[in-house]
Amino acid sequence: MLLRASGQRENRHFNLNAVNEEGSDSGVEHSGHLRALTEAAVGSRWEALAAIRDKAAAAMGQQAMVDALTVAAGFNGVTRVADATGIPLDPGTQASTTSMRADTGIDSFDYAIKTARYEGRAAAEG
Amino acid sequence: MYDDTRYPLSAAVVERHGEAWRMIASSGPFWTAAERVEMVAEARAAMYCDLCRRRKEALSPFAVQGTHDSVSDLPASLIDMIHRLRTDPARYTRSVFAGVIAMGISRERYIEAVSVVNASVIVDTMHASLGLPLPDLPEPEPGDPTGQPPPDVVDEGAWVPITRVSDRNVSDTGLPGSPNIARSMGSVPAAVQLFFTAFRGHYALRDIPLAVSQPQAEFIASRVSALNECFY
Repeated sequence: MLLRASGQRENRHFNLNAVNEEGSDSGVEHSGHLRALTEAAVGSRWEALAAIRDKAAAAMGQQAMVDALTVAAGFNGVTRVADATGIPLDPGTQASTTSMRADTGIDSFDYAIKTARYEGRAAAEG
Repeated sequence: MYDDTRYPLSAAVVERHGEAWRMIASSGPFWTAAERVEMVAEARAAMYCDLCRRRKEALSPFAVQGTHDSVSDLPASLIDMIHRLRTDPARYTRSVFAGVIAMGISRERYIEAVSVVNASVIVDTMHASLGLPLPDLPEPEPGDPTGQPPPDVVDEGAWVPITRVSDRNVSDTGLPGSPNIARSMGSVPAAVQLFFTAFRGHYALRDIPLAVSQPQAEFIASRVSALNECFY
């Protein structure tokens, strides 16, 4: 949702679906490297990350590579705060992002839906 | 912290992570410093926990029972919560929170633990991402929990009460002046302070003070949110 707002501020259109679709062009510069860095960092794939860092630094510059990992590390914490407190969307965001959330699949992350999905599966397996 | 890296890490991040580590090593409103440091140790242990690994591989993490590979004397429900939050945040559900509360741990104690664990997640992820060993656990200071005055919170549909605010205006960032993420731990103001001390150097809603553009930062944020199935 922040990416959508950022595009609106800069009068640019970013392909939000590309966040979840590898190979899709998001319109964000170096998004392939950003994706690789982020996925390795959040997935704790530390050995693979060494080579990914080198490739990304060669393409983006070392400072940008480090700062990309800085953003990823921060959001690896802040998303857990949201996940652990079940906060609702902010006022205004709920209404203004309805179609975007549906298109990108974000609605499936709704905390009530997730609870039903994962605890329902457990009941079915049990 | 970060003394041995060859990478040009933001000085603000280095300073704030050091400060967060010192804060963790001090007594909080509801947990002692020793207990807070144990939470960090437990979050690290979760990464090598066999039960967590089996749950991660299962269709539902609630279908697999067992005992965590624990390294602390924290309450069992809190250990379970820490391990789930560290290893599988995407499938962390309200029942985990409810399980902690049902075992007699107050919402305030839960929130303080969420703050400590997630501040440590940021510090540890940053270190590991740069190929650095994790920092030594801080030496806990002695002393009892400090307590706190009653917080000004309100029920707005989260699992926990959140900070009451009057300013509802939405800026061009798409977020109100006080977004819910900043209000989410409002029942424990010290928890808000700790977590955002660790987080603040990592992102800004505008004019991000890093060598990535705002859209690049938000692409990364979006990808992390998707990986961790963060609805917010």
